[in-house]
Amino acid sequence: MFEKLIQKGLEKSAWLYHLNTGSCNGCDIELVSVITPRYDAERFGFKIAGSPRHADIIVVSGPITSQSRDRLIRTLAQVPEPKVVVSLGSCPRSCNVFNGSYCVEGPLDKYAPIDVSIAGCPPKPEAIMAGLVRAVEILKEKRRAMK
Amino acid sequence: MELLKRILYILFYPGLLYCFVGGLVLAGIDRKLLARMQKRVGPPIWQPFYDFFKLLGKETIVPRNAAKRAFLAAPVIGLISLITVSLFIPVFKFSPFSTYADLIVVIYLLTIPAVALIVGGSASGSPYAGVGISREMVAIISYELPMVISLLAIAKKVGLELNNGIMTFSLSQIVEYQAQNGPLFTKLSMIPAFIAMLLVIPCKVGSLPFDIAEAEIEICEGPLVEYSGAPLAIFKLNHAIKMLVMTSLFVTLFLSGSGTGILAVDAILQFILSIVVVFFSITILKAITARLRVEQTLRFYWTYPTALALLSLILVYFGL
Repeated sequence: MFEKLIQKGLEKSAWLYHLNTGSCNGCDIELVSVITPRYDAERFGFKIAGSPRHADIIVVSGPITSQSRDRLIRTLAQVPEPKVVVSLGSCPRSCNVFNGSYCVEGPLDKYAPIDVSIAGCPPKPEAIMAGLVRAVEILKEKRRAMK
Repeated sequence: MELLKRILYILFYPGLLYCFVGGLVLAGIDRKLLARMQKRVGPPIWQPFYDFFKLLGKETIVPRNAAKRAFLAAPVIGLISLITVSLFIPVFKFSPFSTYADLIVVIYLLTIPAVALIVGGSASGSPYAGVGISREMVAIISYELPMVISLLAIAKKVGLELNNGIMTFSLSQIVEYQAQNGPLFTKLSMIPAFIAMLLVIPCKVGSLPFDIAEAEIEICEGPLVEYSGAPLAIFKLNHAIKMLVMTSLFVTLFLSGSGTGILAVDAILQFILSIVVVFFSITILKAITARLRVEQTLRFYWTYPTALALLSLILVYFGL
């Protein structure tokens, strides 16, 4: 009955959960700049949620360090379906300059399927916005597949 | 016939449908105004509707160590009590149920949503929720005192005129008084209580300088931390309806009058006045302040708003 409204809601109001798995803080600052008045992602309904239970899109930044690996797995399991995993920057895809370090256990796709990856070190806010819009499309597809 | 009319009241105008649409639109206007004040474009006014329907489409997870029944029932109890309050608040002279209820019932019913938040939070079994509910209790203690004292001042003021000097808690009598003598906020003795109630509203609805219980950044929305899907949607709806109910109560207490006599016009007028109250008491404060600490909130409410409310009560006894 509400399926159309739910689809519209998913399109217009995706909440982000930002998960830092040992990032150098560059990508985190760029993600925060997306919600500042200059770029204002809230006009598309994006909002940073405090708890993984409220999230639709999980944004992972940083190579997976051994300290954060268990937390990553547990946090991803806590997010309700449908959910989309977005990798932010080069680190979650390739571990970037941290590759081969004794404390890095990445890349991210060992632990979770990545739906959208945003390239850059750090990516530009425009690129992050484009990635998030793509993530919303995937979110809607996943909801359709759930039915 | 009478019964059918009652059911229509409950389901449509002051009841369920009006609360749903009016509350969410009010929340959307608040978000849009806040965004414009921060020089942002901001979400569309329908954004809370999108949020609500999106959350309905999400999976509902009940944590393993949660008390399942209390966890799922808490938001619904809050919603029901808020809709009941909305039925008891007169829209100018139109008041479907207010012969049975007065300010005391409204005060008690307005506490239930906060209690539902506490029950839901404690049932979820999360440490963040534990911190959140203890803060929510502090918030209840802090805003209840100035609110009750300013309501007493209003009751005495109206009672002196209409009830032979005995306090009256009847909402329809308060409206009657304002229809005869003009809105209450124009009276000298009521101005301190007016300001005190204006300061109580943001804590009651949990908006920014006083949102200690649901501090998103510190404790991940406190009692709501484990909620997802439909129960979270209902809690968000409760939030919006609380805003609508508190502002319409405020309008009824201070800005009411005889109205125009046509229900539709009165309803629109009441809603517009609600938007104005939201703008002054919630949105501006949200845009210019940062969150207070727990004990700062308690100290703030037990000094300035309480002093203002007491001043108002004293002025009423002097007959101003």
